[in-house]
Amino acid sequence: MNGRSGRRTVVIMIEIEHLTKRYGKKTAVDDLTFNVKPGVVTGFLGPNGAGKSTTMRAIVGLDAPTSGLARVNGKHYSEFQSPLSEVGALLEAKSVHAGRSAHNHLLALARTHGIPKRRVQEVIDLVGLHEVAGKRVGGFSLGMGQRLGIAVALLGDPAVLILDEPVNGLDPDGVKWIRVLLKGLAAEGRTVFLSSHLMSELAQTAEHLVVIGQGRLLADTTVDDFVSGNGKSRVRVVSPDAARLAEHLAGPGISIASPEKGVLEVSGTEAAVVGQTAAAHGLVLHELRTDRGSLEDAFMQLTADAVEYRQTTEGATR
Amino acid sequence: MTAAAMTERPAAYAPPANYKLSATGLLRSEWTKLWTLRSTWIVLLCAVVFSAGLGALVSGTVPADLEIGGAENAVGFAMSGVALSSVFVAVLGILTITGEYSTGSIRSTMSAAPKRLGVLWSKAVVFGAVVAVLFTVMVFATFFISQALLDGTELGGVSLGDEGVTRALFGYVAMIVYLTLLAVAIGAILRNSAGSIGFYIGVIMILPQLATLLPWGWVEDVTPYAPGNVSNTITYVDPAGQALGVGESWLWMGIWLVVAYGLAGVLLKRRDV
Ligand SMILES: Nc1ncnc2c1ncn2[C@@H]1O[C@H](COP(=O)(O)OP(=O)(O)O)[C@@H](O)[C@H]1O
Ligand SMILES: [Mg+2]
Repeated sequence: MNGRSGRRTVVIMIEIEHLTKRYGKKTAVDDLTFNVKPGVVTGFLGPNGAGKSTTMRAIVGLDAPTSGLARVNGKHYSEFQSPLSEVGALLEAKSVHAGRSAHNHLLALARTHGIPKRRVQEVIDLVGLHEVAGKRVGGFSLGMGQRLGIAVALLGDPAVLILDEPVNGLDPDGVKWIRVLLKGLAAEGRTVFLSSHLMSELAQTAEHLVVIGQGRLLADTTVDDFVSGNGKSRVRVVSPDAARLAEHLAGPGISIASPEKGVLEVSGTEAAVVGQTAAAHGLVLHELRTDRGSLEDAFMQLTADAVEYRQTTEGATR
Repeated sequence: MTAAAMTERPAAYAPPANYKLSATGLLRSEWTKLWTLRSTWIVLLCAVVFSAGLGALVSGTVPADLEIGGAENAVGFAMSGVALSSVFVAVLGILTITGEYSTGSIRSTMSAAPKRLGVLWSKAVVFGAVVAVLFTVMVFATFFISQALLDGTELGGVSLGDEGVTRALFGYVAMIVYLTLLAVAIGAILRNSAGSIGFYIGVIMILPQLATLLPWGWVEDVTPYAPGNVSNTITYVDPAGQALGVGESWLWMGIWLVVAYGLAGVLLKRRDV
């Protein structure tokens, strides 16, 4: 089970195996397979309608897979003796009765697991809702609703946190707060899995990324690799011998542009290769730098096909 | 086990071991949910005012020279409001479930109790118990109020000790609890407030009455077994002559509850939340 202190063993906490979910004819998730590990924040990225929320609902057993499975810590979610301590979930859609106060909503959930009132107060304070905890949830703003959702997720002090678009509706302070909170939770060895349709929301929080489009896996990688793998990274060279360097660098898969005299922008190769080529031919370099594409670029590039496909098929069925 | 040895990471986090999902926990949770909604208080207050008020109104306006008498009629007069207020509690019973679907709180509920069935049983037990206690008080209070008002008429002078009276009064309590539980199950099956309330009032309450107007003889033979009718017998001071005997009445209430909860349970397990 959980590797205790001392043993550097890590359990795969969330296991998605050939997960497929259809709603009638619509395939929301299509043969999806990936794992989520504890100790880091894993981002779940994909354009709207990619199947993120569906996957997350399947993990907490709200939606039954059409085929395949979703397991947490080696078990189906419903097998747990204390589900709220295993997985805390903030789901995308509203999950609170509008007529109940935030405090009473939390209290009702706490009672199922014998969680003391003290803990209810604790999570209310933690998410900063103490002033409105007694008010009916129906009057909450989107941001307050998200904070309540996070309080619910944290209620059982769970090992795994699943947060569907938690940043939605939060103000900039809230966004910063949640970032720090989630990193802290991951640092305690918990599994943090959060979704977003915006790369920028995940870039500063997540270390690992699972990217999906059209319900299919597009990438399962670290944020760093994701950018270098998908971003249009270019090598920028400043050299008095630019023209000659360009000749030596030219080759299949390599494109070279010269935005101004003495400057080259080379893509399809790496800075090290450019440097070595220059050295081998005794060419002088004044500057050698890798310009990384933004995460957003990488994401757009990766999902472009999926989105295009969707647009054409949707257009066709109209 | 799916453990895989990996590179260095923080030691795995162990969640608190003292939080456990339990049947008692689910009951307490449903109790909390019930009383933390304003609608519960409002609807139950309506039910109380209606049952006592209408009973008192009917009893208080009986003319002194009315020639109807006897315990059967006395109880019937007193309970006229009680029977109607069962609609209030049935609707509230429906809302304890459909309200969760319409607001989305069902997702929180079922994430906390992913086996799901315990939630259904707990809702039924908690709400059924609340209704049983409330209506035991209401039925007997209304009976005494009504008897006080009927004093001096042909309908007065009926006491709990009279043959069949106490049993009939408890029969009213049982009928209301039965109808409430049926309504809760309908809510769980249909998941939609308007649809469930419409079904309860239309199909359970009104349809069997309308059906008796139909010209075919077999309809008359069948209607006593309709879910909304099987509980009638136990509310009579003298049940002799009713289509169903007292024992049959109980049996059929049981059968309909098993059918309704069986279906609700199967659907709850099979459908996505
Ligand atoms: N309950 C449902 N019934 C029918 N279609 C659904 C349902 N839930 C999701 N979908 C469809 O499945 C696809 C994936 O949805 P979702 O998981 O919400 O994507 P995401 O969270 O990535 O935006 C969408 O096309 C959506 O319309
Ligand atoms: Mg979503």
